[in-house]
Amino acid sequence: MIFLIGPLVGVSFIGAVRTYAEASGLGGTSIGVGEAFSPLDGIWVPLFVAYEIAATFLLPFVAIRLVAGDRQSGALKLELQHPMSPLSRVGAKVFVLFGGWCLAGIPALLAGILWKTYGGSVYAPELAGVVLVHLLNAGLTIALAVAVASIAENPSTAAILMLSFTVGAWILGFLASLRGGLWEQIARFTPEAMLDKFQHGLIQLGMAFVALVFIALGLGVASLWTRLGVPARRRAFESFGLIAAAAALIAACTFVHGSWDVSENRRNSFPRADQEALAHIQGPLRIEVHLAPEDPRRSDLEHRALSKLRRVMPSVEVRYVSATSIGLFEQANPGYGEIRYDLGGKKTMNRLTTEEAVLETIYGLAGVTPPQEAEPAFAGHPLMAAPRGAALIFFGLWPALVAGFGFLIPRRKT
Amino acid sequence: MHPEIITVAGLSKTYGSVVALDDVGFSIRRGEILGLIGPNGAGKTTLFECLAGVQPADGGTVAFGEGVETARRGDVLFYLPDGIAPWPNQPVEWALRFFLNFFGGRRDLVDDIIDRLDIAPLMRRRIGALSQGQRKRALLAMGLLAPQPVLLIDEPFEGLDLRQSREIVKTLRRYASLGRTLFLSIHQIIDAGRVCDRFVLLSGGRARGEGTADELAALAGSRPGAAAPADFEEVFLALT
Repeated sequence: MIFLIGPLVGVSFIGAVRTYAEASGLGGTSIGVGEAFSPLDGIWVPLFVAYEIAATFLLPFVAIRLVAGDRQSGALKLELQHPMSPLSRVGAKVFVLFGGWCLAGIPALLAGILWKTYGGSVYAPELAGVVLVHLLNAGLTIALAVAVASIAENPSTAAILMLSFTVGAWILGFLASLRGGLWEQIARFTPEAMLDKFQHGLIQLGMAFVALVFIALGLGVASLWTRLGVPARRRAFESFGLIAAAAALIAACTFVHGSWDVSENRRNSFPRADQEALAHIQGPLRIEVHLAPEDPRRSDLEHRALSKLRRVMPSVEVRYVSATSIGLFEQANPGYGEIRYDLGGKKTMNRLTTEEAVLETIYGLAGVTPPQEAEPAFAGHPLMAAPRGAALIFFGLWPALVAGFGFLIPRRKT
Repeated sequence: MHPEIITVAGLSKTYGSVVALDDVGFSIRRGEILGLIGPNGAGKTTLFECLAGVQPADGGTVAFGEGVETARRGDVLFYLPDGIAPWPNQPVEWALRFFLNFFGGRRDLVDDIIDRLDIAPLMRRRIGALSQGQRKRALLAMGLLAPQPVLLIDEPFEGLDLRQSREIVKTLRRYASLGRTLFLSIHQIIDAGRVCDRFVLLSGGRARGEGTADELAALAGSRPGAAAPADFEEVFLALT
């Protein structure tokens, strides 16, 4: 895994730098184009796609081999005769796996250093957000793989189960985007959905806690199943108990609303003056949106306005109303496309999905004068730079170093 | 100090409708080499795994002498399974070092055990690449290094040739004389007869007899209409 991560990161990084350079050369830095030149979207997120791939297709199988391999070889029967608690034993394996994952993060660090040498901008908080999401993603992957490996009789079965989870999560996400409603609520807890916002510079405390609960659940289940002399029925019963406790904790976490916008261009927040004005508006705000899940206006409204609104007004209730997933036949209904607002009994309706229109509507209902001061537009960080030296480092030096260590260490031991 | 270090009474284990162990009872005495002998499928491995706590028994009791709780059985016995290849990608040297560090084994015996089991030529070889007999010797080394006073070894002679088996017998007898208690599961009667002080005969999940070779021979000969058995094989056949 460590050998392959170098070339994977190399492909992602080199492609990202080239695309960023092409876009920078085309657009300049005029107002409104600045968002196109954010390293968050242009470099960091594409770079870490390599780690998403590794976390999906490499890391689980490394984890499974480490855990299930002991059972298959018989080492588990020896190791479990030691008084070390199963949780400690699982914890030690997870620690090693996580350490290996951090080691695999070295190519990303090299990419960051290279980007700086090219003259690229690095905004530490948003980079930290991306790193955090991938650490949590790795934690989730490891916890699930370790749990599955502890339950399954052999590594092959564990690998099949792991792949089933991965594909199942993709299918759930697809259904959520098509059908919305309950599917969307359930899909919120797939790793991809949970951590999606982090990749766009929004750290959500509740989601981070949910991820940690899932990680703890995986390790707990693995500990329960890695014990000698306990009947399978009792292990299953205890596992269900643990799952129930985790479900209760997750439900509690959904009431945790703390979040931080760590993006340099504050893409997850309204302008500061608007945030302050909205915070002073009293009364329950209910918004009813008559748009189908697949209607692009719905996702525009959600990403441009409603997700920001929930952060500054946690009591806002948003209800999506649609009879179908695509709205194709609903569009004949004159009510389709309406966005209805109700602020403490005062109501209005429009069909506008932009941030400015939503803000204007709310100010109108509240009888508040919109703030006049405007924040300067985000200028972005265009950079026309070639990825010098990246190919040598990621396709040449890194694989050679890893292969060299892999060759030398066993010889030094003997 | 109580002579019985482990006492088993009424031990039972079923796998669905298959009765693997049925009301098995015997005791293991301090410092002896006790042989568990029986044909394939008699329940020897199941018995060992229930004693070691690898599998839960469905009934019966196992007392570990001098008030040791069942949960602390790992302080009293170490179980060496048959047919395993632990840490297959690691060399024997690594495995022994790990074993000593992890279990706090008998470092003072390392050189003697390596010499007696003739595993010095194997130290740099991967465990997964060893032959069955070589792996058995490496595993025996681990078992003999374990700090627990009682060692359960499942099929200690499996995969070994005649010369190697005889050397293993000498080694096991030596460590028993130093105070170690050994409980060996053996399906070859001749091997068992060479090394064990007493025997437990297991067949069809039931204990058919317990005692020295002479005691078992007397038991076999006392059966109505039975002729005196000529050798231990006949004792075994008579009682099982």
